[in-house]
Amino acid sequence: MTESLAQLEVAAKQPGRVSRGAERVVRRIGRSVVGIAQQTGGILVLLGKIVRRFFPPDIDYYELKRNLHKMGNRSLPIIGLTSVFVGAIMVVQASAYVQQFSATAFVGWGAGYVILRELGPILIALMFSGRVGANNTAELGTMVVTEQIDGLRSLAIDPISYLIVPRFLSMIGMLFILTVFGNLIALCGAALFGQLTLGIEWRVFFHGITELLKPWDVYVGLIKSLVFGLIIALSSCYFGLAVRGGAPGVGRAVNASVVASAVGIFVSDYFLTFLVD
Amino acid sequence: MIRFVGLCKSFGTKSVLDGVDVTIGKGEVFFIIGQSGVGKSVLIKHLIGLLRPDRGEIYLDDQEISRLTERQYFAVRRRCGMVFQHSTLFDSLTCLENVALPIRKHKHLGKKKALVEAHKRLEQVHMEEFAQTFPAALGDGMRKRVAIARTLTMDPEFVLFDEPTTGLDPVSARRVDVLIRELADRLHVTCVVVSHDLTSIFSIADRIVMLYKGKVRLLGTRDEFRRSADPIVRQFITGSAEGPME
Ligand SMILES: Nc1ncnc2c1ncn2[C@@H]1O[C@H](COP(=O)(O)OP(=O)(O)O)[C@@H](O)[C@H]1O
Ligand SMILES: [Mg+2]
Repeated sequence: MTESLAQLEVAAKQPGRVSRGAERVVRRIGRSVVGIAQQTGGILVLLGKIVRRFFPPDIDYYELKRNLHKMGNRSLPIIGLTSVFVGAIMVVQASAYVQQFSATAFVGWGAGYVILRELGPILIALMFSGRVGANNTAELGTMVVTEQIDGLRSLAIDPISYLIVPRFLSMIGMLFILTVFGNLIALCGAALFGQLTLGIEWRVFFHGITELLKPWDVYVGLIKSLVFGLIIALSSCYFGLAVRGGAPGVGRAVNASVVASAVGIFVSDYFLTFLVD
Repeated sequence: MIRFVGLCKSFGTKSVLDGVDVTIGKGEVFFIIGQSGVGKSVLIKHLIGLLRPDRGEIYLDDQEISRLTERQYFAVRRRCGMVFQHSTLFDSLTCLENVALPIRKHKHLGKKKALVEAHKRLEQVHMEEFAQTFPAALGDGMRKRVAIARTLTMDPEFVLFDEPTTGLDPVSARRVDVLIRELADRLHVTCVVVSHDLTSIFSIADRIVMLYKGKVRLLGTRDEFRRSADPIVRQFITGSAEGPME
């Protein structure tokens, strides 16, 4: 990989053989590939450091409690609201076909399947990343540029165990809880709109869910939410800690963290869908 | 005792410290002076491992510490506290909680007891009425006093003060001077003070080092500085705009 990159760079440097425009494109690709490799490496190193703090457990429980509280409070309303509409959209989109084939008995199952396995975990994770992940990166980045992290180190307090581990645990735990909560709301939203637009009774709707869905469908979504939580926690902490260059650096880091989380969520979703089935 | 031997440090291509040799005795009030950007903060950050030297050695009581791991440095940092130039209080905690944090972490007290002790520490720097205030709501000078209280909670043997009186009103500044002198005289704490404050320098310093262009320009007592004929030293301690200094 690095070898072929080096060859590309060499090729790009030889004048006459490659035009200037192409040279620039190759350079840019080379740089972004190296950048992604560096970031992935950095994130894995951070994960290693975090894992080491669990043997023996070295966790600040006050910070853990504070973060759980803050992250939960901050995201509940927005996730509740999004979830209602996710459920509603499911039903609205399906309504034409449901009426055509009078398949009302399957609406509950269909909505449940899509929400619990796919849409719920992904959309809630994306909201969570935009809200909590971005905030986390900004907070940590600000602490880096204002030397608060060095301040911690100077007090002989380990920033990883005091700052990062509680955030890491809170984000994974809170996204899981919020996904359960959001899924329930989305299902209720779907049931409500099913009744309003298609006249499906609640009993029929939830019968479709309880009878036709398998427990595994629920577990798949929950496993996904744990993996997404891991991705958001790692990328938001990594980009926060890696901030350089004052306040503009914080802005860039927040941006990079949200983008990296989103990419990570979609890519891992693709592989998880294959793996778990 | 603190000893820097041939300390060199550059950032990228920019050389900041270029062979600094300084020895600081136990219980001394030792001032580091020099122009802004000369590397005073960089020098003292090396002592607690926030920066690592490119070359040279650092001794703390005969132990060479510049090659310790981050984990091994924790022991050094408990003995050697630092008050940062920009205070570095934690935004998310009140002043009282800021001071209570190292107490809770290192003295293994519960949160309640730690807060009680933290309150006493705030009284020492006359900041008890701002206990429940968040640092962002305070001025620079007040934040600095809280930061001093926070560092002293660890009862360090050495304290590094990075511009402790910059941004303070004259009365608070003299109070900080008195506090530093008392730390040295009563508790035999070694105080290393980075400062531009000529009043502090000439009222409480035991010895002074002046850094210029990455090297030691002059190291000596207050009187040696007053008598120095070196034009660069003279320009700095008289604070005149005209002179050989760049
Ligand atoms: N972490 C760092 N990365 C790059 N350059 C730095 C870093 N810390 C300090 N410097 C540079 O080193 C020089 C000395 O800085 P400093 O020690 O803060 O000066 P002062 O003597 O005013 O305390 C400055 O020019 C500063 O830009
Ligand atoms: Mg400085």
